[in-house]
Amino acid sequence: MKHAVIAGYARSPFTLAGKGALARVRPDDIAAQVVAALVARTGVTPGDIEALVLGCAFPEGEQGLNLARLVGLLAGLPQSVGGYTVNHFCGSSMQAVHIAAGHIAAGAGDVFIAAGVESMSRIPMGGYNVLPNPALNEKVPGAYIGMGDTAENVAKKWGISRAAQEAFALRSQKLTAAAIADGRLADEIVAIKSRAGVVDKDGCPRPDTTAEALAGLKPAFDLAGSVTAGTSSPLTDGASAVLVCSEEYAAKHGLKPLARILASATAGCAPEIMGIGPVPAVQKALARAGLEIGAIDVVELNEAFAAQALACAQDLGIRDAVLNMDGGALALGHPLGATGARIVGKAASLLARSGGRYALAAQCIGGGQGIATILERI
Amino acid sequence: MQTLRKAAVIGAGTMGAAIAAQFANAGVPVLLLDIVPQGAPSRNTLAEGAIAKMLKTEPAPFMSARAAKLVTPGNIEDDLAQLASCDWVVEAIIERLDLKQDLYRKIDAVRRPGTAVSSNTSTIPLAKLVEGLSDAFARDFLITHFFNPPRYMRLLELVTGEKTDPELAARIGAFADVSLGKSVVRAKDSPGFIANRLGVYWLQTGVIEAIDAGITVEVADAVLGKPVGIPKTGVFGLIDLVGLDLMPHINASLSATLPQDDAFHGVNRDLPLIRGMIAAGNIGRKGKGGFYRKGKAGKEAIDLTTGEYRPAEKPVLPELAAAGRDLRALLNAPTPAARYAWRVLGQTLSYAARLVPEAAETVDAIDEAMRLGYNWQSGPFELIDKLGVDWLIEKLQADGFTVPPLLAAAKGKTFYRQNGTETEFLGVDGAYHPLHRPAGVLLLADLKRGQKPVLKNASAAVWDIGDGVLCFEFTSKGNSLDAQSLDLLGKTLAVLPKAHKALVIYNEGQNFSAGANLGLALFAANIAAWGEIEKLVSGGQQVYKAMKYAPFPVVAAPFGMALGGGCEILLHSDAVQAHAEAYIGLVECGVGLVPAWGGCSEMLARWAASPGMPRGPMPAASKVFETVSTATVSKSAAQAKELLYLRPTDGITMNRYRLLADAKARALSLVEGYQPPAPPVYQLAGEAGKLAFTGAAEGFHKRGVATDYDMVVADELAGILSGGPADIIDRPTEADILELERAAFMRLIHQEGTLARIESILATGKPLRN
Repeated sequence: MKHAVIAGYARSPFTLAGKGALARVRPDDIAAQVVAALVARTGVTPGDIEALVLGCAFPEGEQGLNLARLVGLLAGLPQSVGGYTVNHFCGSSMQAVHIAAGHIAAGAGDVFIAAGVESMSRIPMGGYNVLPNPALNEKVPGAYIGMGDTAENVAKKWGISRAAQEAFALRSQKLTAAAIADGRLADEIVAIKSRAGVVDKDGCPRPDTTAEALAGLKPAFDLAGSVTAGTSSPLTDGASAVLVCSEEYAAKHGLKPLARILASATAGCAPEIMGIGPVPAVQKALARAGLEIGAIDVVELNEAFAAQALACAQDLGIRDAVLNMDGGALALGHPLGATGARIVGKAASLLARSGGRYALAAQCIGGGQGIATILERI
Repeated sequence: MQTLRKAAVIGAGTMGAAIAAQFANAGVPVLLLDIVPQGAPSRNTLAEGAIAKMLKTEPAPFMSARAAKLVTPGNIEDDLAQLASCDWVVEAIIERLDLKQDLYRKIDAVRRPGTAVSSNTSTIPLAKLVEGLSDAFARDFLITHFFNPPRYMRLLELVTGEKTDPELAARIGAFADVSLGKSVVRAKDSPGFIANRLGVYWLQTGVIEAIDAGITVEVADAVLGKPVGIPKTGVFGLIDLVGLDLMPHINASLSATLPQDDAFHGVNRDLPLIRGMIAAGNIGRKGKGGFYRKGKAGKEAIDLTTGEYRPAEKPVLPELAAAGRDLRALLNAPTPAARYAWRVLGQTLSYAARLVPEAAETVDAIDEAMRLGYNWQSGPFELIDKLGVDWLIEKLQADGFTVPPLLAAAKGKTFYRQNGTETEFLGVDGAYHPLHRPAGVLLLADLKRGQKPVLKNASAAVWDIGDGVLCFEFTSKGNSLDAQSLDLLGKTLAVLPKAHKALVIYNEGQNFSAGANLGLALFAANIAAWGEIEKLVSGGQQVYKAMKYAPFPVVAAPFGMALGGGCEILLHSDAVQAHAEAYIGLVECGVGLVPAWGGCSEMLARWAASPGMPRGPMPAASKVFETVSTATVSKSAAQAKELLYLRPTDGITMNRYRLLADAKARALSLVEGYQPPAPPVYQLAGEAGKLAFTGAAEGFHKRGVATDYDMVVADELAGILSGGPADIIDRPTEADILELERAAFMRLIHQEGTLARIESILATGKPLRN
């Protein structure tokens, strides 16, 4: 069985939906520029790529049709390179990584680009035509539950106080601000051309936020609740991509792999508490890798909401020192389809940077799921 | 010239900034300049700050967010050269002659010859402003005195000097009229011009007479407000609104500039009470309080003798009831309050008669200035006609007041008279002259004189407005819609084609229409006359559809509020010509109902046909759900276009006086080759769509934005907008949606929650959030 490695990671700046610098840029244009840059930066021979596997949570409108193929053509990939679009909601582009790794293991290709994109400015969350099935709504009332409501549920069930959520959000903002200030994010960012000029800076972080400012916000989803806009990831535009190839291919072609994909998993949970989804997924992945959580040196746990990230960290026993070392989605933003590839790429880069051995990337998924990837430094 | 390529306003204070906003509202790009304050973070900080502040001000100076983008902030140090590209420069800086003249010299150095420069001064004579400036500058200079707030106050006093180019003044006047929507009154270059000269005299007289006669502020405002046709703020409430701190400045300025023999000097007394109030920060609504204030226990009023606040009283004035609508009877009543009203009004009317020809050429200029500048229902000369010239002369004489020459000369006459269909006014020459309306101004009130309605009943009337066009006028209280108005509309549709070719729906009330008569609906519900209610609902649907598909064009011309059924009539018209100040909305959900005269079906069709709408059954319906479930009312006609209450092609008229003429022209333009619209077909999502809407509403409920009963109403609205039992592959028709509207309306009107909401709106005017 061939092992897959992460041999490159790039992303666009993440900017606020609606008012950010990428709001007026089509999602396929953002994704294509990231894919093209990844190819150029890694030096992979484009003709060797089996397929572009592209994650997107709401693949319609400008994200519609077979977006992966269109992005491949836009990015100038050879026409021989395949392209298919994956929807696993927030887990979409991590799923793309898993698919690539699986194909490599199965001998069904040596090189893949696993990417993800979401323009939450241009395609509304839920899509243009929300058409829930009344029968399912009757049968599983949480099937269509709003994400904010699930965060409230998790906060209640896991006893995550508002203060704890705000402290975590502040932590995320400070770590992100420090990472930006130290230039630690610069390498991963691909400057995106827009009509108004080049966009090369993340637009979501609020480095000046304070505990007092966060404490002053109104609940965003439930008048009697504890989750606010400050403790929720913002609606975001952005794209990300990683190069996934077999270890042998990397060695033969002189690519510089960041990490080996050791194990992956996905798991379901109750839709009403979807934020806890990473817990069963991580447990499965750890078991598959034969590791305990204590062995993990780098954790990228997506911060969809402070409440769910804290509940997962608590249940999994993740140490603060290894968690989201450059901050997370509460500060950086969460373009749904793009987040998975970002945190896998980020975890791989952090392994290389920190010299640790194992890394974990995990995230929750609307509808009640989690997804996890375990990496090992090469 | 009715369009300017570009304008500039210098002085980004409240007035200057808001004047700039009105240029922007008219679609004209405008520079807003002010000084560069020392140590400011940005050189344009004053103008930038003013724009930012205006975006948060209510009532809003801007009619739309788009308008705000037409204002470019700048400063007079860096940007003065840009005045060369402006056609009109308005100066609205501090009232200091030296600073103004300084600025004029700078403007004169950069402007193009022929660029109009006007001052918004309210106190400095034009002659002084241009003293020492070049002849070329004086030729292009005039005073344009706006009233605060400039978007909403319709009066503009225009003052020219001896050297002002009459053609340029006419051009600016025409632009202010047509594009800025102002009623332009020509005033002489005399202190305070017209409205403030008379208004300040009236306020000052009102204050000193009250102090002298021991009248309370509540009594003074009660007797001088509504009974005289003056806003209920009366004298003291108005001073609170304007700000007491301004009074000494205005009085000092008038005192310094008015001739020695002017009656103003007689009422301009130093008032220790007011001095004390200003010193204590009680300068009115913008301060801690004024003559009135909100105390902990409720409204308080100041005692004019002690200067102390006490609980406000509701005055008991039997003389008001006794006089009824007879103002003369009130002023003759032998009570202190009536005597007070007489002394203030008598002196004010007398003062008004002295202002012709000193401040204005004609009496109607004074009347218009007071109607639009101070919101008096009738101007002073109209009031004199109501009271009787001879009666006033005698009463003034009996009280030892001098009778001004103009009034004495009018003995035995009236200031206005009808000559056939023409209204005439009495000139200073003692002769009557016709009251000319500017070209493009058509008033129904004028047309109605000397003609009988084509059709009429208790709630509506139909008038022939010429050129083959009929005008349908609501005449009920609040122009509310009832069975009678619908009945007459149906009859109009039937008879119109016999001798006419187009219909305009228009009136000259306070508002276009507040919607269906809720009082009648509540009454019918209380006596369980469900059949009657149902008949009204389906009757309205039928008439509105008949209007939509009539073989001739129908143009509605709303202004002020057009709500509920009043909005639905617009939605069914072929075109709308709206006054810029049109507040349009489907507000039914606010009273626990749903639009059921085709409001839902029309809005669904409009949004679905709107360019850029994504395909599928939900995007258009979602927009309608968002707008209607929240009872959204547009804050301007421009905003009504954003909400699609108006179509992108519908017209907007800035000047209220021009609305009927514009609507009539629009109707006539549609006559040739007129084809009624094709009925829409819909694609709606049925149950799945309803679930999506109610799910979204549930989110608002959780957040505390929507109330419990909102959820009941939202559920019904969701049912209509998702097409009821429709399947996504069905194509429901207009009739299907109308049936859903009717059924939902009937279910809601049976509910306690809806009746409680209707009762609340009728009793308090405020929506109940149950």
